Amino acid sequence: MGEKPLVGKKRMKRKYRDNEIEPRSTPIDNIPEEEEKEIPMHLLDDWSDDGSDDVDFLEDEESSDEEDWTDESEQSISDDGDDVEETSEDEDGDLEEDDECIVFGGKKAESSNERSIAAAEESDSSEDEVPNRNTIGDVPLEWYEGEEHIGYDKTGKKIKKQAKKDKLDSFLAGADNSGNWRKIYDDYNDEEIELTKEETKLIRKIIKGKTPHSDANPYEEYIDWFNYEDKNHPVSSAPEPKSRFLPSRWEHKKVVKLVRAIRNGWIKADKPKEEPRCFLLWGDDTTENERRGLSYIPAPKAKLPGHELSYKPPVEYIPTQEEINSYQLMHEEDRPKFIPRRLESMRTAPAYDNALKESFERLLDLYLCPRIRKKRIDIDPESLKPKLPHPKDLQPYPTMCFLEYKGHTGPVTSISIHVSGEWIASGSNDGTARIWEVENGRCLKIWQFDEAIQHVAWNPLPELPIIAVSTGQDVFLLDTGCGSEDQSQNIKGLLNVNVSVLTTNSEENSAPLVTWVNHEKYDGIRLKHFKLVTTIDWHYKGDYFCTVVPTILIHQLSKKQTQNSIKKLHGLPVTAVFHPSRPFFFVSTKKNVRVYNLSNQKLIKKLETGFREISSISIHPGGDNVIVGSKEGKLCWFDMDLSCKPYKTMRNNLKDITGVAFHRSYPLFAICSHDSIAYVFHGMVYSDLNQNPLIVPLKILRGHKKTNGGGVLDCKFHPKEPWLFTAGGDSVIKLYCNEAPSMY
Amino acid sequence: MPKHYRPAGKKKEGNIAKYITRTKAVHYLQISLPMFRRLCILKGIFPRVPKKKFEGNHKTYYHTKDINFLLHEPLLEKFREMRTHEKKIRKALAKKNEHRAECLDSHKPTYTLSRLVKERYPKFIDALRDLEDCLSMIHLFAAMPAVGRIDVKRIHNCKRLSHEWQAFISRTHSLRKTFISVKGIFYQAEVQGQTITWLTPHARQQVITNDVDFNVMLTFLEFNETLLEFVNYQLYHSINIKYPPILDPELEAFAADLYALSRYIDAESSLSSQTSKAITSDSGGQAEDVIMGDATDESDQKTNFPVIEAGSLMRLVIGDASTENNEDKETKECKVLFKDCVFFLSREVPKDSLQFVISAFGGVVGWEGGKSPLNETDEQITYQIVDRPTQHHMFLSREYVQPQWVYDCINYRMILPTMDYMVGSVLPPHLSPFVDNEAEGYIPDHAETIKKLQAAAKKHVLPLSGMEDADMNCLAEGIIDRNEAQETTEKMKMLKRIEEEYLQGLAMEHQKYNSSDNNTNNKPVVTSQLTENPSTTNDDQIKEDNDNMSTVSMSRKKRKLYEAMKISQSRKKANVELLKNRKKKAESKEDA
Repeated sequence: MGEKPLVGKKRMKRKYRDNEIEPRSTPIDNIPEEEEKEIPMHLLDDWSDDGSDDVDFLEDEESSDEEDWTDESEQSISDDGDDVEETSEDEDGDLEEDDECIVFGGKKAESSNERSIAAAEESDSSEDEVPNRNTIGDVPLEWYEGEEHIGYDKTGKKIKKQAKKDKLDSFLAGADNSGNWRKIYDDYNDEEIELTKEETKLIRKIIKGKTPHSDANPYEEYIDWFNYEDKNHPVSSAPEPKSRFLPSRWEHKKVVKLVRAIRNGWIKADKPKEEPRCFLLWGDDTTENERRGLSYIPAPKAKLPGHELSYKPPVEYIPTQEEINSYQLMHEEDRPKFIPRRLESMRTAPAYDNALKESFERLLDLYLCPRIRKKRIDIDPESLKPKLPHPKDLQPYPTMCFLEYKGHTGPVTSISIHVSGEWIASGSNDGTARIWEVENGRCLKIWQFDEAIQHVAWNPLPELPIIAVSTGQDVFLLDTGCGSEDQSQNIKGLLNVNVSVLTTNSEENSAPLVTWVNHEKYDGIRLKHFKLVTTIDWHYKGDYFCTVVPTILIHQLSKKQTQNSIKKLHGLPVTAVFHPSRPFFFVSTKKNVRVYNLSNQKLIKKLETGFREISSISIHPGGDNVIVGSKEGKLCWFDMDLSCKPYKTMRNNLKDITGVAFHRSYPLFAICSHDSIAYVFHGMVYSDLNQNPLIVPLKILRGHKKTNGGGVLDCKFHPKEPWLFTAGGDSVIKLYCNEAPSMY
Repeated sequence: MPKHYRPAGKKKEGNIAKYITRTKAVHYLQISLPMFRRLCILKGIFPRVPKKKFEGNHKTYYHTKDINFLLHEPLLEKFREMRTHEKKIRKALAKKNEHRAECLDSHKPTYTLSRLVKERYPKFIDALRDLEDCLSMIHLFAAMPAVGRIDVKRIHNCKRLSHEWQAFISRTHSLRKTFISVKGIFYQAEVQGQTITWLTPHARQQVITNDVDFNVMLTFLEFNETLLEFVNYQLYHSINIKYPPILDPELEAFAADLYALSRYIDAESSLSSQTSKAITSDSGGQAEDVIMGDATDESDQKTNFPVIEAGSLMRLVIGDASTENNEDKETKECKVLFKDCVFFLSREVPKDSLQFVISAFGGVVGWEGGKSPLNETDEQITYQIVDRPTQHHMFLSREYVQPQWVYDCINYRMILPTMDYMVGSVLPPHLSPFVDNEAEGYIPDHAETIKKLQAAAKKHVLPLSGMEDADMNCLAEGIIDRNEAQETTEKMKMLKRIEEEYLQGLAMEHQKYNSSDNNTNNKPVVTSQLTENPSTTNDDQIKEDNDNMSTVSMSRKKRKLYEAMKISQSRKKANVELLKNRKKKAESKEDA
């Protein structure tokens, strides 16, 4: 609502002035305005239809227009005021009636008297009751132009034309009579009618385009039926803009666009054509039909169903109730996904619940799983085993237990065989060291010590039948008495410690590592160490021997001297061994084996085993190959010429290797372990440097019982025969032979 | 820019240059992950395993070439176009511009996958090789209800495709094995030398679960539908039949699609072979057939469909046998398995499956219900297949068997005695034909009995039937049809060979048994020689030791492989043991 723009206001003003009223501040609805407009237009049309007579009338009007203007307006205003007071009940009806009266006004004219009476009686319906004098009906009047009469009256008599007045007469009559302007000529009835005052008023109003009836109130109080509450936007009362009646340029542009789009085929009215759905796709094989791009790996086919998937599998394929229950205890992944069951007949087979899911899983596999070509080996697993020479072809090797040496009461920790192969020395946890005769198992000699014996070792020289026994912190060098008389004399001399020599030595070293003492009880030498002695090994020449305390000491028997040449060692030494022919010395720490040259006292090599804990080491009589056993149960073979990495590492499914041993002459080596097993291998070393050593497992020797003391604690080969001695934790020493010895 | 230009920091070679992770690939292609999946499915691109997983173990790697392959895919552009088109429609709808939306909707961009099919399977044989999953999926969807996202149209399409495929298989008699499982019915066919196995679900209301991604499934289905359609086209083309087939709407209304298809095929082939018929019908033995054929041919020309008549069906089956000689032995064998059998299906048996199977093996089928070529009262019927506890009215001229009989006959390639398969009797176990019992290490009892039956049939029955044939021919015409004679001789030869094989197998088995006996006998002898004190060593120990010793000198890789193989073997053995134990228990229960 609110105020209107100025321009609009101005226009309004003019408009209202046409209608001779002041513009109102209250809004005027469109509808009454239109009505006001329409009525005059319609009336004017009617006027024009009426014919030539009207022109006269109008001319008359025009002539009087100017002068009547002012008083008329005054009247109208006053009338308006009256009208407002007496509110008309039926505006529309009045209007219609007024219309009629005007349209037929010209034709139904009566004598002025009658008319006036009628008007006085009833303002509304006067004309209908006044009959026409003429009864010719609605025919063109020109038909009677040349006649003397204008028509007929009710009784059928001719109505004579009245004599026409002269212009002058009529003018004079007009000039005399002031009411002459009110008179109009009725052609039809050929008479003059004098309009009443009301009628003239009516005509005036019509001409001005006003409501003809004087009772009608054009400015009635406006009742706004529209509810303005709850409406967000105002309902505009603005007049229709001009643009609404003009063709839009934008629309035109749009149409042009559409036309262009249709012409160019951007907009298609008809449906797209359907192409043939399928055709011979693989028709011609002439074109190259190789798959391009990366190599295609077809998806593996789904597994074919087995008997258990049958709707009626054999009885044995159906798990029992207990088995089904036990599936619940299994881990979800291990649980069988499908439980076979037996259906009675085909009609009882239900839909498979997981059909969709399984299909989906297969699809997932198809597009999400990486595909790799994998070689599936469909072979007998046995064919994987390396083709080794048959053990039978590699005979002789120890195969069966031939003799048992019984007598020890504790686990036998160490054994040693004399070079001649006649005697065997053994040391046990019960504190005894014994000498046995190999061939018949007779115990020759027993020494009793206070502590458990760690190691025994024969002197490698055949003419010096001495053994070294380590027990606790001491090492004893004892005469076995196995030699001849000359030898025993010689030994006696050797096993006698000259005190003077010792003192000189001890003077040189401020703190003596080892003290050499004569032992009276067993007639030998006692070397006192400061810690537990674990292993002893003799040099091949029989003069030197080494002992492993946590440090490594090398003793010289002839001079009764001790030296500690190897001082720097990474890690604790476990064992130490002399090379069988050259002045080399092997020291094994827990992880590595170090090889020293004794002549120039230098480190030559470091053999890396990769083990965590080495337990034993043995050197091939040829001198170039070393085997090392570890407590993890692994064995490695070093070819010293090849590398300082193992040539071969073998897992034997053993618990803990306690000892390894090479045979002196046969291509054999053995290992023994805490599992009370001794393993015999064929280990052939070729003189040709290009040929790698051949290792063939030959035999697993069992027989020792498992005890708390351990399984097999030591193994040694007979120096000449392919026999193996094993020292067991069950306090038995066993001899394994290739066949029953021929000497019996 | 030189051709060899490589941006700084970009690797030229190695795994990093060759492979790309999925996320990176998606970014590179500038598409969303679902779109990427869709493309991968349609293009058949799958992840690969680089030698070194440079971005972590848990990631998926694609080959860069594969991704570039995707990048240049016209379909990618098409998808983008479709997306923008959809946006346009949405926009139009939002602006209440329904006319435009409608207009756009009717002109959606479309795509076809035929190019992709050709690209993925350049040769027809490649497509056949990869058809198994496709077939299983189509058959599954053919049995699905149109619920949720599954469109009815697609299900109908699947049904149509599956029936077309089955019609081809049964027409060419290339079905080899069938297996009724809990999951559904497995079929194995041999098409152009390719063994194709597929699964059709049981004809029941299928269960729709929510734990599947229908986006993925429908994308796969889209491709599979296209693939199978083209494959069907090619196959139909290979047997000179027009594709897509036009079916008799009456039969379709009665849900006898398969039958309608077979009739269509017959009609087509008879039309195509009309010219060649005169040559083939020279032999006097088929005079009657020819007359019948002519009569039906006339009606063919009128209606384009042969008259529904059991006799005509029989003729077609037999007539084909004489015309087509370029079939392998197995097909011939399959074709004549149900040669003289006429089946009638009760309403409770799976009609589609049996129709397919029986016609694939040369039998004639009628069924209870509309449009059946045979009535229940027909005299020709030799077997009626029923699956109900009792059958009230029985015709004496035919045998009443349960449906399993048909499948078993097919698997064992012989007409089994119907004793065990009578109405209401407890059926023998149904064994999977896909299992190699020998390799599995366990032979179920039923397999043994079947073997015996087969052997017996080959030894006695079949040669006799051959004799009969010869007699009949002599009596009837006095002329021995050359073809038939050849066939019989061939059959004889084959039988002989099979028999020999069987005997050989027996002998082998026997030998095995003996040898194993010998071994077991020998071993103790040897060991006793070796051991002086037998308490310490025994057989097992020695065996174990031997194994142990041989593994000692193996390399780690080989040892691991060996161990794995051993484990699988032991598992297999354990399985067999379990089966044996169960069987023992079951038997003891029965005895009790």
